[in-house]
Amino acid sequence: MAKFGKEFAKGLIISNPVFVLALGLCPTLAISTSIDSALGMTLAVLIVLFGSNVIISAIRKFVPSITRIPVFIVIIASLVTVVRLIFHAYMPQMHEALGIFLPLIVVNCIILGRAEAFASKNPLVHSIADALGITVGFMLALLMISFIRQILGTGNLSVFGVDFGTLPVLGKHPIVMFILPPGAFLIIGLLMGLFRRTGVMKSE
Amino acid sequence: MPVKSGLKTAFPIILLTIVVAISVTALTFTDRATRGKIEAQKEQEIQNMLSEMFPNMSEYDFENEIYTIYTDGDKVGYAFLAVGKGYGGDIDILVGLEDEMTVKGVTIISQTETPGLGSRIAESSFTDRFKGQSIEDVALTRDGGKIDAITSSTISSRAVVDAVRTTAMEKAKVLKGDEGG
Repeated sequence: MAKFGKEFAKGLIISNPVFVLALGLCPTLAISTSIDSALGMTLAVLIVLFGSNVIISAIRKFVPSITRIPVFIVIIASLVTVVRLIFHAYMPQMHEALGIFLPLIVVNCIILGRAEAFASKNPLVHSIADALGITVGFMLALLMISFIRQILGTGNLSVFGVDFGTLPVLGKHPIVMFILPPGAFLIIGLLMGLFRRTGVMKSE
Repeated sequence: MPVKSGLKTAFPIILLTIVVAISVTALTFTDRATRGKIEAQKEQEIQNMLSEMFPNMSEYDFENEIYTIYTDGDKVGYAFLAVGKGYGGDIDILVGLEDEMTVKGVTIISQTETPGLGSRIAESSFTDRFKGQSIEDVALTRDGGKIDAITSSTISSRAVVDAVRTTAMEKAKVLKGDEGG
């Protein structure tokens, strides 16, 4: 059980997928424009990463190493397609907001990275802990980035239609750049630098 | 041991086949389970937009890619989809006509224009500019028409305006042809 906790906790800070492993940066840049889409992306990644870690860990002993990549990709692509169809059917607005980045989870390095580096070598329970930890770490990073971008880029804070208010000056003159891709690079870079400088996170 | 080594070579192929077969089954099942829901949603979305454009709509039918709108059995207008080539990709537009020549309204269904600049084409302050215009006048003022472009978003504005005009002209031909025949 101690191992479970350790595998979970490492995803939050020491192996944070965005700030330390620098994995999954493409969806991070693209969908961190609002807290809503950050949470939607987290949900999609949670389902896919959990599913792929469980399945790959369960079959790891039967999969010869020469076929492992195609096997992993088929499993991940199927999971992503299932998630995409379910989002389309039951959460159409989220499906719309995530757009192309939902199907692109197939090539999100977080998923294949964890399959290759962890789930294919570790027992089931630890792989579950790893999937959950990495997802929570991904969520924390996305929330931080999207919170800052949403505030600076729109001057307004609202989550799933609940309005928490508009800032006085920024509300009228938002810094549009922060909603655009360059803003994402800036925020990610600054946060990464801050975490390294303060010693919270170290590069791997 | 030729049999054993043969099995060893074949095993990855067999395994991959099994994995693919399972995944195809899972995907077929999910597709069956969600298809009805997804189609109903698209239909509902179109219907919502149509009834927003034609508040008195009681029913509509869809033929030759044109929606014909009825109020209690009387024909009150038409609607159809147009696609504009925007600055950031395709812009999907729903165009409503009162009659063969006059625009009833324009709704942007989806767009990927620059947020804060081109994305303003989806706001009613822009789409309202089309209301009641003759389809021949649907062009930017600087191109000789009657629609003002959004400041600093000329490309996005022109994409919408041109898509509405060219598609409306095409559909008007089809509609007139229908009446003649």
